[in-house]
Amino acid sequence: MIERLSHGPASVHGLTEPFALSQQMISKHIACLVRARIVIKTKRGRESVCTLRPEAIKTVSDWAISYRRFWEESFDKLEVVVNELKKQEMKKQQIKKEEVRDDK
Amino acid sequence: MTNNTVNEVERMRVTRVFDAPRELVWKAWTDSKYVMQWWGPKGFTAPVCKMDVRVGGKSLCCMKTPDGQEFWNAIEYHEIVLHEKIVSLMYFSDSQGNKIEPAELGIEHEAIEGAYDVTLFEDLGDGRTKLTHIGNEPMESAKNSGQLEGWNQILDKIADVVAELAQAK
Repeated sequence: MIERLSHGPASVHGLTEPFALSQQMISKHIACLVRARIVIKTKRGRESVCTLRPEAIKTVSDWAISYRRFWEESFDKLEVVVNELKKQEMKKQQIKKEEVRDDK
Repeated sequence: MTNNTVNEVERMRVTRVFDAPRELVWKAWTDSKYVMQWWGPKGFTAPVCKMDVRVGGKSLCCMKTPDGQEFWNAIEYHEIVLHEKIVSLMYFSDSQGNKIEPAELGIEHEAIEGAYDVTLFEDLGDGRTKLTHIGNEPMESAKNSGQLEGWNQILDKIADVVAELAQAK
């Protein structure tokens, strides 16, 4: 939804279309985004129009260090490091084996 | 339900199974050289990590947001069982390791009084290791209603955008 809004303002109806969700669900979601001060909702005739609040993006760095997010994403990176370490260890063992063989 | 007992708050718990022996996961978790490669959320870097993993020791790590803000964390160690368990206390600090209240940094953090962070390294017996980190924060504040869900979706999207931007540079 945010991605859609990043292209420009959209009506609630327009925001509902790409999702397999009822307009009621979408409205609820939008209400959350408005409460969280990410989206601004204005009336244009009978339609409600949603706009992305530009400052919302700035708060991302604050939010990104929520503890849960911090650990989940650190773990993702840790996995890469561990795999790399494992590869190095295996290589080292391989070299050792070859050395033993050469000594014989 | 509980009258005279202390209410046990469900705590934030993050688990991951690694396809590597416990010693390796421990090494990646405790050696500065490796911690620098993974400390901090997606898109963040860790320009400084000084690990001192021993009882009474204090580690200091800096993470840098994609827009260049730096945040420092200090970790104090209370109990260490080699390759098995670390009981520690992590807090936001200045670059010298002096404690800072998260609110001063504009960060909401509801800590559990008197609780520690616990990290467990479990040997699954087939060359894999289960890593569990139990944080000093109640679960409820982390999964607070649908608002967090909304935020997570946004953040995932924005994180992707930021990543693309970073790549485009």
